[in-house]
Amino acid sequence: MAVEFSTLLKPTSRARRLKSDFVVVLAVAATLIAVIPLAAVSLYVISSGAGVVSLDFFTQDPPGDLSAAGGGIRNAIAGTLEMTALATAFAAPTGILIAIFDTEVGGRVATGTRLFIDVMAALPSIVVGIFVYSLVVVTQGHFSGFAGSVALAAIMLPVIVISTEEMLRLIPRPISEGARALGLRRWRTYLSVYIPTAMSGIFTGLLLAVSRAIGETAPLLFTSLGNNFFTTDINEPMQGMPLLIYRNALNSAFPAARDRAMGAALTLVVMVLAFNLLGRWLVARRRPGRNPGR
Amino acid sequence: MVVATDTRQTPMAAVEAAQSDQPLPPEAAVLRLHHVNAYYGPRRVVRDISLDIARNSITAIIGPSGSGKSTLLRCMDRMHEVVPHARATGLIEYRGIDLYDKRVDPAAVRRSIGMVFQQPNPFPTMSIFDNVAAPARFNGLVHGRNEAADLVERCLRQAALWDEVKDKLRQSGTSLSGGQQQRLCIARALALAPDVLLMDEPCSALDPVATLQIEQLMTDLRADYTIVIVTHNMQQASRVSDRTAFLTMGEDGAGYLVEEGPTGRIFTQPREQLTEDYISGRFG
Amino acid sequence: MTARVESPSADSPLGPNDLRRRRFADGDLVFRVMGAVVTGLVLLLIGLMVAQSFQTALPVFDRFGVLGFITGQRWSPTFTVYGAWPFIFGTVLTSLIALVIAVPIAILVALLVTEFLPTRIGQPVAIVVDLLAAVPSVVWGLWGLLVLVPFLRPIERSIAAGPGKVVPFLGPPTPGPSYFVAGLIVALMIIPIVAAVTREVFATTPRLQREAVLALGGTRWDVIRRVVLPLGRTGLVAAVLLGLGRAIGETIAVTMVIGNAPRVGSSVFSPGFTLASVIANEFNEATEELHPEALIALGVVLLAVAVAVNGAGLMVRRHFERSAGRGR
Repeated sequence: MAVEFSTLLKPTSRARRLKSDFVVVLAVAATLIAVIPLAAVSLYVISSGAGVVSLDFFTQDPPGDLSAAGGGIRNAIAGTLEMTALATAFAAPTGILIAIFDTEVGGRVATGTRLFIDVMAALPSIVVGIFVYSLVVVTQGHFSGFAGSVALAAIMLPVIVISTEEMLRLIPRPISEGARALGLRRWRTYLSVYIPTAMSGIFTGLLLAVSRAIGETAPLLFTSLGNNFFTTDINEPMQGMPLLIYRNALNSAFPAARDRAMGAALTLVVMVLAFNLLGRWLVARRRPGRNPGR
Repeated sequence: MVVATDTRQTPMAAVEAAQSDQPLPPEAAVLRLHHVNAYYGPRRVVRDISLDIARNSITAIIGPSGSGKSTLLRCMDRMHEVVPHARATGLIEYRGIDLYDKRVDPAAVRRSIGMVFQQPNPFPTMSIFDNVAAPARFNGLVHGRNEAADLVERCLRQAALWDEVKDKLRQSGTSLSGGQQQRLCIARALALAPDVLLMDEPCSALDPVATLQIEQLMTDLRADYTIVIVTHNMQQASRVSDRTAFLTMGEDGAGYLVEEGPTGRIFTQPREQLTEDYISGRFG
Repeated sequence: MTARVESPSADSPLGPNDLRRRRFADGDLVFRVMGAVVTGLVLLLIGLMVAQSFQTALPVFDRFGVLGFITGQRWSPTFTVYGAWPFIFGTVLTSLIALVIAVPIAILVALLVTEFLPTRIGQPVAIVVDLLAAVPSVVWGLWGLLVLVPFLRPIERSIAAGPGKVVPFLGPPTPGPSYFVAGLIVALMIIPIVAAVTREVFATTPRLQREAVLALGGTRWDVIRRVVLPLGRTGLVAAVLLGLGRAIGETIAVTMVIGNAPRVGSSVFSPGFTLASVIANEFNEATEELHPEALIALGVVLLAVAVAVNGAGLMVRRHFERSAGRGR
């Protein structure tokens, strides 16, 4: 790599310094351009949605007709929570196990699996929705919250595998060598040393996966379909927060639907941010090996 | 607990055998290395080393950086191969068993040949008590509360740590000072009742006071265990060990054995010029 | 259960049986098998899903031919004519617009964070930019539909009336929802990932080379121009590919602002469709003959493109990490 030293040996001319400052200005401007929409979205959601949310909003179901005013989003909140919880129950142990398997086996098997998982993580979520539709909905013959959970689990799985693998890789060498030098069996080292040591990071990965799943619409479109009524039966079509927002937004010519969408959007953003920020805060607080011997 | 009960040699006799200049009789050697080579991938880092480790003695391995001392040590408990693409050839006999025999389980080897590392590494998510008790419990050496408590006390006493931590056994292993953590790691290793204790520069991360404590500990442990210590501190080697092996890096980048023998002789009448140069500080 | 080493009597040396073991024993075998089984099952399940979808889409490919389907310009469920081209066009156009907007911004943001700001300020800035990705797609779409579209309409109109008369693709019509707005929103959504990967790339610039330029009197921009950017070239390619991969898959936000017209638009301000958005839009009402199958066929096409782009991005990134690790 050739750096043209001759040009650098000239004294720093004003022109070059100005050029450098100009780039800084550009970079700041670009960052503002990136960040301002974030602020705009947040402000819009807060200002338009704040007036809509109320205790009733969380405890009542929407009216059968979207254009009618009143009602709430109870079924959507319940549906999202239930489907996400089930999805986590599917994805978390599976994802952690796959991450352990990859870390332990190494070599080409692990590289291949990891590539597959990476591609899976980048898949359009609507494609995931189609897949789960083909396998679950068609086989069962009906839409259901269960299918929705499977779709969400498929979205969460790669996130969990990747973050758990990262955490396991970050375990300091002294600890992993120490465990091996004691002649412990491999499964025992994972169970009693590695996983507890990486626990906070793994948990953070879980929270981030959950916050992602809560906000996903496309996987639910053809799996849980949506439901105007409140149900906790996982075998019935189920409403989810993003679905409700989507359907009401498409009808936003009606003020009632628009308001409902805004209120639900505010609620959704708060939920997503809560998990997201909680996860980040946990990482900052306790990293493995953060308290080495004094 | 494993005790060297060879009826023909008391511990004192073993130490004398170690310190004599005669070649070691086979029954006095607990570990025998024959033509050991170690590689990281294609690169050889240890070349053709043959060495006997005497029972109930402290053997020091000294030499400049890069001379393969740690690598050689790690070959003795099959920790070398844990690094990807690392391998070792040659014969390492432990009480007549080929450690690298296909039928041998590395984990079992490490239960008999323990290791203490340069950087103290107690498990951060376990208490002091569990750090000592858990590996023993996992290996089926103790059952139940009382046995575990007895083992913990016994090992912490052996490691000269009991008095300092007996009131805070439930605290995290990482809440101790560096020297205490290292003694905790020694206690943890002792809990498995190993035959041989390998120590890889155990004092290099410690202050002088803690270093002296560990050195005293080693001398006390010699009666029941065989200790092999890698150190770059020559004074330490001359203070503590019965036998010394001097390694240095050859022109091919691999470490080889220059000279080996009783510590007293190595430091006062070395047979090789290189040894003399190293000891008098002309290089390394 | 454990291999205990008996102290040797003087006469019988130990055999390897005392340190014995078949290679993996006790829980270890179970451990490995369980891990392999679970991983295999997941891979199998996914493979099954892909195969099922392929199978459903097959009649469509049979009817129109794979190439015919991809290049077909007409999408008319009532007449059972299905061609994917308008949607491929829409996907390409919106992704291009998104990249053109997002990549320069993302690179500049990454430069700001890694080169110009001290870490204490840079870290929070990076986190704020990352938060763009935390906003759910449907909320972006909502804002886009209700705020951005009306906001941009007069601007679009004036561009179309002015330069639009001369420059192709910038002309009328300007009904509001369009490729342009969709591209803009998608840009906002992919800035975080491009910026994050680019940040990692810049962070691997060897300190030595950086400091060499500074020590010779170079400005920060000199460092960037002569060291950071050239050394990070490959990594930047990966970042762009990964951003593109994310862009082509964006569904909900796009479908809310793109206008939903199954045609090849004549200008960036026309309404249109992307592969992802048409599936979202039409699937639940697809009752005509072969309509659902055609939509799934579109999904297969989308899958192929997404895997190709993301796979390429990942491999380039892996290659970059390996060569950066070796230290150039």
